[in-house]
Amino acid sequence: MTFFRFDIHARSRKAARLMGRVRRELLKAVMEERSAGLTQQELAQRLQAQRATINRQLSGEAEITLRGLADLAWALDREITVELRRPERPEGQNIPPMTSTVGHQPVRVITPKTRQD
Amino acid sequence: MHGRHQRSNVLSPARLGSPFMPTISELVDSGALVRIDVELAPHEQPMRLLYGTPDFVAWLQHVLDGASPPRPLAHMSAAEQIDDLFYSFLSGAPLAFNRQFRTIRAEDNAVWELKTPDVRIFGWFLAKDCFAAVFGNWADTIKDHDLYRGYRIAIRRLRRELEIDAGLCVKGDAPDDVLSL
Repeated sequence: MTFFRFDIHARSRKAARLMGRVRRELLKAVMEERSAGLTQQELAQRLQAQRATINRQLSGEAEITLRGLADLAWALDREITVELRRPERPEGQNIPPMTSTVGHQPVRVITPKTRQD
Repeated sequence: MHGRHQRSNVLSPARLGSPFMPTISELVDSGALVRIDVELAPHEQPMRLLYGTPDFVAWLQHVLDGASPPRPLAHMSAAEQIDDLFYSFLSGAPLAFNRQFRTIRAEDNAVWELKTPDVRIFGWFLAKDCFAAVFGNWADTIKDHDLYRGYRIAIRRLRRELEIDAGLCVKGDAPDDVLSL
């Protein structure tokens, strides 16, 4: 074997990457505010929350609810942008596989049509 | 997990002239390393490279088959945590924000650790932005059994066996030494 794709189910992948992306955006904002002088203790005081709770959310050990995300954005003075859009498939871009190799889903094999078809 | 790395004629030091030093491509052709990736969006291109030993890939398959830590910390499954870790690594996302919040950490012996709340992955950087994973395990198991030292020694031994300790190994211990983004 020369190649291995770590391929989880598309539904799990969507959830994992959304949560990871939100966490990285929050960490980026926390670091920017820290550079401007805001300590984690002050951030916790603004939110009237335990510093440990916020740390667990930022480290991925605790889930961040929509309310928690909004509260953190407020405390960090950040706007939240939310957009759901259909995937774009402009010409020249990679085409992701339509099927997963895990989750006991049958792999769809596409063959060119012949005259008999 | 311990190394069980095949060597073939490709890695035979039967070359004339300069001292033998395999390339990454030769390590893959010989079966010592396997290229690893995750699905990226159509507009994304890999900004870093990820490899693993055959034993590490077997551990990944074990996770895909449903293995989970005995006392999970995170609200995501182990497979989801690894997918997001690999995705952020390969897509070029920041991995180290400060000492407290970082998904990458230097150990001794030019060994690096990639981490999620429940998972630890150990390996070394073949070159900047090019990581070779050797061991994967649950964070709790590693801490409970203090496996850090054994992993460090085993990874250095593997590099020596592959005759790449001097060439295909980044020695720095700062994130900037091994990551360009």
